[in-house]
Amino acid sequence: MLNWTLALPEIVLGVSGLFILLGGVIPKKESFFPVSMAVIGALILAAVLVLGQGEGTAFLGQYVADNFSRFAKVLILLGAALGLLLALDFNEKAGLGRFEYPVLMLFATLGMMVMVSANDLMSLYIGLELLSLSLYVIAAFDRDNPRSAEAGLKYFVLGALASGLLLYGASLVYGFAGTTNFDRLADALSGDDVGTGVVVGLVFVLAGLAFKVSAVPFHMWTPDVYEGAPTPVTAFFATAPKVAAIALLMHVLIGPFGDLSAQWMQVIWVCSAGSMILGAFAAIGQRNIKRLMAYSSIGHVGYALMGLAVANDTGYRGVLVYMAIYVVMNLGTFAVLIAMRRRGRALEQVEDLAGLGKTDPAMALWMAVFMFSMAGIPPLAGFFGKLYVFLAAVQGGFWTLAVIGIVTSVIASYYYLRIVKVMYFDAAPDGALDARPASLTVVMASTGLLTLLFFLFPAALIGAAQVAVASLAG
Amino acid sequence: MEAFLATPVGVLALTVAQAMALLVPLLIGVAYLTWAERKVLAAMQLRKGPNVVGPFGLLQPFADAIKMLMKETIIPAGASRVLFILAPMITFMLAMLAWAVIPVNDGWAIADINVGILYLFAISSLGVYGIIIAGWASNSKYAFLGALRSAAQMVSYEVSMGFVIVTVLLCVGSLNLTEIVRAQADMWFIIPLFPMFVIMFISALAETNRAPFDLPEGESELVAGFFVEYSSMSFALFFLGEYANMILMSALITILFLGGWYAPFDIAPFTWIPGPMWFVFKICFCLFVFIWVRATFPRYRYDQLMRLGWKVFLPFSLVWLVITAAALKLFGWLPGAV
Amino acid sequence: MIAAAAFYLFAAVLIAAAVMVVTSRNPVHSVLFLILAFFNAAALFLLAGAEFLAMILVIVYVGAVAVLFLFVVMMLDVDFAKLREGFQRYAPVGGVVGAILLLELLLVFGTWQFASDAAGFRLNPAPAGVDNTRALGRILYTDFVWLFQLSGLILLVAMIGAIVLTLRGKTSTKRQDIAKQVARSGSVNLRQPALGAGLGAIGIERPPVEPPPGEKPRQVEHAGHGHDHGHGGHH
Repeated sequence: MLNWTLALPEIVLGVSGLFILLGGVIPKKESFFPVSMAVIGALILAAVLVLGQGEGTAFLGQYVADNFSRFAKVLILLGAALGLLLALDFNEKAGLGRFEYPVLMLFATLGMMVMVSANDLMSLYIGLELLSLSLYVIAAFDRDNPRSAEAGLKYFVLGALASGLLLYGASLVYGFAGTTNFDRLADALSGDDVGTGVVVGLVFVLAGLAFKVSAVPFHMWTPDVYEGAPTPVTAFFATAPKVAAIALLMHVLIGPFGDLSAQWMQVIWVCSAGSMILGAFAAIGQRNIKRLMAYSSIGHVGYALMGLAVANDTGYRGVLVYMAIYVVMNLGTFAVLIAMRRRGRALEQVEDLAGLGKTDPAMALWMAVFMFSMAGIPPLAGFFGKLYVFLAAVQGGFWTLAVIGIVTSVIASYYYLRIVKVMYFDAAPDGALDARPASLTVVMASTGLLTLLFFLFPAALIGAAQVAVASLAG
Repeated sequence: MEAFLATPVGVLALTVAQAMALLVPLLIGVAYLTWAERKVLAAMQLRKGPNVVGPFGLLQPFADAIKMLMKETIIPAGASRVLFILAPMITFMLAMLAWAVIPVNDGWAIADINVGILYLFAISSLGVYGIIIAGWASNSKYAFLGALRSAAQMVSYEVSMGFVIVTVLLCVGSLNLTEIVRAQADMWFIIPLFPMFVIMFISALAETNRAPFDLPEGESELVAGFFVEYSSMSFALFFLGEYANMILMSALITILFLGGWYAPFDIAPFTWIPGPMWFVFKICFCLFVFIWVRATFPRYRYDQLMRLGWKVFLPFSLVWLVITAAALKLFGWLPGAV
Repeated sequence: MIAAAAFYLFAAVLIAAAVMVVTSRNPVHSVLFLILAFFNAAALFLLAGAEFLAMILVIVYVGAVAVLFLFVVMMLDVDFAKLREGFQRYAPVGGVVGAILLLELLLVFGTWQFASDAAGFRLNPAPAGVDNTRALGRILYTDFVWLFQLSGLILLVAMIGAIVLTLRGKTSTKRQDIAKQVARSGSVNLRQPALGAGLGAIGIERPPVEPPPGEKPRQVEHAGHGHDHGHGGHH
């Protein structure tokens, strides 16, 4: 009845998190590195379990496992593990090498997995809170740095507001439908006479979730938090939680509110168009590269939402493909940003990349690959991501959205290419960057190769996305 | 008579009569507890103790009460008048209120409610308000420091007390106090749960701000702590409240661990004595230990107090709770298992 | 009849206390009114037959949370006049937002209608003959065990967060190592020296303290001893 073995990946991850925490607390000396390794091990173990996971619902329908959740979870676990790998060296150097960091990342990842597998408004909220609370803390992890503390506080206050909106919406939906379970909600909302209350509730839920994916009217926190938080934290923020939030958004909209698609399509349409436009224009003037990446991520969310706004299987498949490629590109880009360190000081300005083409040609090459890919230049992975959502939009007759997408990606390529230009054509101001640690090279090279060679074997990812979407809509 | 008792007025009258039957002996008990404490302390310190007013000083409590009543009530300048007067009343009232659910004998409770133990726990956790309000309303540094100490101390020790209570509940399967005592008909819980009894007793000392945990009034640093500004009747209420709380805590320990009204052995000379008498004996025994501890131990330092509460009692009671639960489950002793 | 009267009494006090929480000038009074409000809410739970919830409300909110509230409010010197400074300025904006929300709510509830089969989805009430503590336990620990455990993890994360963001390992304070203290007891010698003999007679000699050159030896305050006031003075 409870069928709890279905949730084994989450349970194993949570329990190993507790043990790892214990292992970090008990020794007298700081144990950042071993704890991080243990967390990466736990994440890999969870990923293996996810791959072997069965399908069905557990805990009286509060938990669901299917191909969609499997796709999203593998992506999340991958993003989290690589994100932690990025932090290893940076945190030691920045004095943030405390074992709580990997532990909090583990719990954040657990929260994401719960979100993705949520089949009930309550488990949705609980997962979201577990994720958010961990993120608030790691945003402020560099507690002696006022900008980091500010980032944490800002994220916390706005995040709490978003949670409030979400809860308010959920309570309205519950009040009108009489259930919080997704399957039963879908039944209850399948009739023609759906009240205004549910629609109002749905809009509130959407607002709460849009905050988490930083889609346009709810994006204000993103640049400040991305800039203020330590760079590995920003890298983490920009990858795994985004996937989780987008997956959750898809799950909620397509599952219980699938029959209300006429209502939510408009909302998503506006969010998508707004995010693309803002992401393209606001990033142009940015000197701080983390801030630039914040606007870039808003723009990317806009492209992903385009697939959702289309509201058909091709569109959904496009979203999943887009998010997978987005995670890979972003991790690589952030690996480069984290490696930006001259004479021990971390650098964050675009100009600091100047002359990289001469001083460190390998890193400059990877960075160029990522930037071209983000700009959507064929044959790199980013191009295919955009291709699938644009294709879906065109097929679905969303011409306006497709045109906005194409125009904004042309505009956005300006600032991506500017970085390439700075790297290769500007003179280096003072000397080369510090030697980068091996962990960053590993992340850079692996994500770079994936981005570069994606066009050789697109079928694997697209096939997986296709299967995932089939289980979602079916 | 029966008909009268069924009417609302009758119910009210009956309740008042029951309350009186419980509260009057209780108040007399409180008065004599102050006398007993002085006598016991004196004996332990090789002194005589009060022996002037009445035979063996037996009228001393009444002499003290009259003295208190005759004195002037002083309200310090800048004090928050309403709260200043209210604080001792809260303390005293809470100490009385809790007795509503105490079963003195099988079925002898004024209100035999389902969640009796939670009620007791709730009332005892409110005791801190009298102190903290008194400390704040006095507009005095010493009083305020005393109040802060007391608030931190009582909240800390409540946590482990909660775990002790949960452990007992696991063995009983009910939150009803009468049921808790009945579950001890064969064996008092002090035997299987002895470590929890020790924790409960020490937490009770901290909860009632008794020595060696009497830092809230620590006279060597804070003059008299939270009630330094009180005089006359308002002081007396604090005083009585503390002793009533001691009796209440002893009653709670008796119910949870010492088998309430049951005789220690179910054989002839013990069973001649009625249940309520046993109940009173056990309370008196606990009270004696309370006083004994005061005479024996020096006061704790505040950091030691906090360390004991959070780093020793809390983990220990948690572990013991898990052990108890595991044992009950493994051996199939869980009460009311379906 | 009595139950209805009690309900109206508690509800009225609850609302009055809640209003006082917001309007009272002194923050400490606000918290005290909040406690009063909690109490009356607990009483309302009792009237509704939810005795377990009532007690938990008192234990958790009144017994622990509000104490900490009171603690903090008493320690902080909150200047309410200053806090209210912006009130006039932001009142219109807040009012407009509030009015819009209210309007929307009216719009929503004007067309309130349950989904056609909502009644069937609703959870069944507690089965007869099960007291509500047991019923709650079943729901929490069986039906919703997944959410319950995850909520526990959320609290754990909150705890880790509080520690991470505030705890600083102090290097200046001395730590008490109790095990070490206890283990030391064997190394202390107690001896009864002959009366009148100095310390030198029994072979205990203090190393001569060399005053640093050019500096007057510091006058050591002779600590009064032997004036033990003894116990007592408890009251």
